[in-house]
Amino acid sequence: MTLQPDDFWSFSEWLLRPESFLESALLQGVVLLAFATLVGLLVAYLVSAVRYGPSEGFYAVARGVRDLFRDDLPGTSPRRIFALARLAYKEAIRRKVLVVVALFLVGLLFAGWYLDPRSSDPARLYISFVLTSTNYLILLLALFISAFSLPADIKNRTIYTIVTKPVRATEIVLGRMLGFVGVGTLMLVPMGLASYFFVVRGLRHTHEVVDIKDLGDGRFSGKLSYDQFHEHTFTLEATGDTDGSVLEGVTDYVRGHRHIVRKVGDRYVIGEPTGALRARVPSYGELSFTDRSGNLDVKGIDIGAEKGRGDYGSAGIARLVGVSREARRMEFGYVEGGTLGSAIYAFKDVTPQRYPDADGIPMEMALRAFRTIKGDIVSGLSGSITMRNPDNPKIESTPINFVVQEYDVSEERLPRQIEGTDGDQIRTLDLFQDLVTPDGRLDVILRCIDRQQYLGATSSSVYLRPAESSFAWNLFKSYFSIWLQMVMVIAFGVMFSTFLSGPVAMVATFVCVLLGFTAERIYDIRYYLDKGEAMGGGPIESLVRLVRQDSMTTDLDVDAIAAKLIKGVDSVLVYTLDVIATSLPNLPKMLSTAEYAASGFDIFGSLLARHAVATAGYVFAAFLIGYFFLKTREIAA
Amino acid sequence: MNRSSGFRNKLIYLMVMIAMLIPLYLLGQPAGGSSGDGGGQLTQMRTKYNIAESELGDINPASETMKLASLGLRGVAATLLWSKANEYKVNHEWDRLKATLNNIALLQPHYEKVWEFQAHNLSYNVSAEFDDYRQRYSMVREGIEYLTRGVEQNRKASRLVWYTGWFYGQKIGMSDEKRQFRKLFSDDKPQHEELRESNIAVDSPDARGPDGKPDNWLVGRQWLLYGYNLVDSGVKIRNQTPINYYQTGPKWRIKHAEAIESEGVLDDRAKSAWQQAADDWQSFGQRSVPTTSPFTIKLGSILELDQQRQALTKQLMDLAGETYRAEEKLLRDGLNDQEREALAIPPEERTQEQGMLAMQLEVRLKPMWSRVARKAPEKVRLRAIQLAGELADVEARYQKTDSYRGQVNYEYWQTLCTAEQEDRTVEARRLLFDAEKANADADIDQAIQKYEQAFAMWAEIIDDFPVLLQDELSDDLMRSINRYKVAIDREDFDDDFPLHPFIEVMLSEKKTSEEYRRLRQLQKEGKLERRVTPTENPVDPTSSEPGDKPDGQEKAADDPRPTDGTGGEPSAGDKPAPEGDVEATTSERTPTLPQG
Repeated sequence: MTLQPDDFWSFSEWLLRPESFLESALLQGVVLLAFATLVGLLVAYLVSAVRYGPSEGFYAVARGVRDLFRDDLPGTSPRRIFALARLAYKEAIRRKVLVVVALFLVGLLFAGWYLDPRSSDPARLYISFVLTSTNYLILLLALFISAFSLPADIKNRTIYTIVTKPVRATEIVLGRMLGFVGVGTLMLVPMGLASYFFVVRGLRHTHEVVDIKDLGDGRFSGKLSYDQFHEHTFTLEATGDTDGSVLEGVTDYVRGHRHIVRKVGDRYVIGEPTGALRARVPSYGELSFTDRSGNLDVKGIDIGAEKGRGDYGSAGIARLVGVSREARRMEFGYVEGGTLGSAIYAFKDVTPQRYPDADGIPMEMALRAFRTIKGDIVSGLSGSITMRNPDNPKIESTPINFVVQEYDVSEERLPRQIEGTDGDQIRTLDLFQDLVTPDGRLDVILRCIDRQQYLGATSSSVYLRPAESSFAWNLFKSYFSIWLQMVMVIAFGVMFSTFLSGPVAMVATFVCVLLGFTAERIYDIRYYLDKGEAMGGGPIESLVRLVRQDSMTTDLDVDAIAAKLIKGVDSVLVYTLDVIATSLPNLPKMLSTAEYAASGFDIFGSLLARHAVATAGYVFAAFLIGYFFLKTREIAA
Repeated sequence: MNRSSGFRNKLIYLMVMIAMLIPLYLLGQPAGGSSGDGGGQLTQMRTKYNIAESELGDINPASETMKLASLGLRGVAATLLWSKANEYKVNHEWDRLKATLNNIALLQPHYEKVWEFQAHNLSYNVSAEFDDYRQRYSMVREGIEYLTRGVEQNRKASRLVWYTGWFYGQKIGMSDEKRQFRKLFSDDKPQHEELRESNIAVDSPDARGPDGKPDNWLVGRQWLLYGYNLVDSGVKIRNQTPINYYQTGPKWRIKHAEAIESEGVLDDRAKSAWQQAADDWQSFGQRSVPTTSPFTIKLGSILELDQQRQALTKQLMDLAGETYRAEEKLLRDGLNDQEREALAIPPEERTQEQGMLAMQLEVRLKPMWSRVARKAPEKVRLRAIQLAGELADVEARYQKTDSYRGQVNYEYWQTLCTAEQEDRTVEARRLLFDAEKANADADIDQAIQKYEQAFAMWAEIIDDFPVLLQDELSDDLMRSINRYKVAIDREDFDDDFPLHPFIEVMLSEKKTSEEYRRLRQLQKEGKLERRVTPTENPVDPTSSEPGDKPDGQEKAADDPRPTDGTGGEPSAGDKPAPEGDVEATTSERTPTLPQG
């Protein structure tokens, strides 16, 4: 999993962005709210003006605002909201929405058909499958239940049975939202449980011992059978606490897991797969590079690999107004082998309390290798890890060598005691006393040993692992993230349904979700438009190119006036879409928590907090808009 | 409208519906199963063109469900998945890439190009992204497995079958890491099991190498043979020339022999491998190969064609020799002064222009037999015209055969097989191998002795088969000679150094058999001038691993294009390889640099 810069932000960094406030989420929220209020008031005034005349219209709007603050908000009663929520809940259940759970279960039954059994990391595949399918199903469900309910009530006039009672519009809107959220939650629980068992059971398998060799020194080496498209090798040793009749050992890591093998008498006991379902809690460091001469470098060497695009979104309003234009995707930076080039990770909070293990600090690496010459084919690229005291660079450990394992997480340990240099002196260094500063900082330096070869690293490539969380808890967090998305969609659905008919409200909500999902693409298009680079152009230009079967990067081959017209209309469209997409919730970002769970990383608390706050903000906005529209309808009625 | 007219309308609608159903029934009726009942028009057409699902390959319920679930938007879904797959590739998310490719294949199982393209993508492009050769091998295997699944789903895709054979041979056997790949493959039992499931005879002696384990070249050949059987049973070869389709199988036997020799198998097993290769090449020469002309040819029958041609010419000469000579005179008389002058000057004194002219004239001055026959005396004219027609036909076949032989370098491979199966060639190779090993072990005296024995033997072999100058062997030899020079610590050789003419030829522009023979003759007469040759790439005697091929050969062998000018099928050029992959597809990710 390669993290992007904004994944590392803490909650406050995200909210305030101390260095560049223009990018802060708070500003984006405030601007959005102000903008929405302004547009809302304007539209409300225009509508009222048409209905009641210019001055009377103004008073009507003012009355509406006054009512909200004087009567409706303070008068909103949790008891009535709850009653209305129960109503919405019952109504949804009567519409047999629980069928969706059955649908999900059927999906799980047949999932095996479409999931590659030969995958090199089945856990990842299974987890992302259950999470994404749950996500899409739940969003779809939220869309349907939320959009149709109110319009149906209004159409059937059953709404009068409610509005004639002493309930407020705030309560109706909130009640609906809450009721539907309740239904959604009710469904997420069995889906979550089913997912958990599906993943755990799907990965469960066992092997048999097919080959065993006596190594002579009391140890045995052997091989396990080829099952589930893989096999393991293992070594058995006598366990210390028995008389030698029980041997124990672990297999090698294959497809992200290993087994514990025990030999009791003549019988072999092969344990469950372990290590496939993890939730590592990483502690990342700040990454910087040095070039071949040892000078500090920001990005490392670019080896010219094809780059992914995106992550414009993290610049918030700054991107929208054109202050920040570049893609912020983090790419791998490379270190040249056999030179002074290095990648330096500056870790914080390295304390004995966080890392109590006497063997040393667990460190994990997911590096890349790049060769410019064939070199030694059989051995992998080798690198070295050096620990250094950030305050006193003269205190440095001797390098620990390692071989790069690409596309795999390799585990290393930073030992508590290690040989090293202290100025001119060579002595045994203590990790926490000599190498770590009193405030818990430590520099870890990676170098590539092989000449003319390169080692690639990014901020998330190397991390210390102070703890391990449980997979079940991590899955729960992913489900919480899905729950947040569902809440958001329900809020939008209810909001639209206060003034649109059922199907239209559904389409409107759907468009919002779709725009949220494709936001990065829209930013991309705008990026090329701003830069004046031909890359397919906006919607109309793309259509023309599609029909004419033109390439994306050629000049648009139509006459000058037509081209001008097309590009003009396109920029209006793209800029408008950009504004809309920026104001909508960034759903892919929320969906990406699934990636954490799938890759075996604990979902950061700050990430969930960010999503929760964003959701709360959007729900509040949707609630306000919904309230006003319902209010107008009441007045009309 | 009253009630009765409403009823009448309903009746009319019903009739119309029934009338419309009749053609539908006739068109879509399924086959009854009995003979003569081929079903409706659509069913018959499906059978005729072999595009019924069950005809094409295994029916996969997952695939069918997926097709249904896409609600007719199969193309759109596949396109989206395709772009997703590309995104995953850019972001190096291999697992997801594979999962997506899987889904594309489920959606479009009969789109052959998809299998081909993406298998290539996995085996050649993605595999090169890994640093560990074992991971690279497993990715190559993924590609091959993908292709195999494609074959299962498309039983009559001759090209896919051929391509699978190509992958087994070329990708495993010619990569930078071929030594490791070949070893991994021969020990890859699960893969062998899958081959068995695909009805490839991995257990037959024909698919096993000298160590008794399956050999990638021979397994590749088994796939190719499967393809040849398929074509022989009436399936068409598409998107490929037949000559190229047929040459690969026999070629893989040759490659197998080369591979085991380079790995140090230099005894009877190597000899027998070359004998089998020779047999295969021989049978390839006897295969009828369709051509761009309306007739088929056999590459091995060029001598017969030549004899036929001569016999026919002789018969014609006997019949209408007079007319022929008269016609020749007529043509000669028609020349202008300049042309006469060009012909009169002896060939070696002609200017370039005159030389060109003379060449053209030689063709022009030969009377055409069809013309001669028409002018022949009336008594023999009919017979002459008939013979001239036959001659023209034989001539066309000869020309075609000759040109196709040139395309696959038929004669070269044939000679190579003959030369390599001789005891002395195997012995010479063994000596060279031992010499290199001794050199690498720093046993200089032993190395020099072996080198000298090997060179003497090689000189004899090249005397008999100068065509070997074209072989990779000659580069090998040159390198060995350079190492030898370092070992004896001299810049030049004695006059009677057996490979002296060989060195001269290799350093000259003209690397032809004739030139070699000329220089060899000069050497025998003691007239070959000694030249001090610069030591190329002085090689550190310790740099070469024991049993390792000298560096240059690795490089030459890594070129995915066959050396015989068949157009390098399939080169990366014929693939719309995604941006940024071109380099990775044509060579490996880690290009071989000349070392030393």
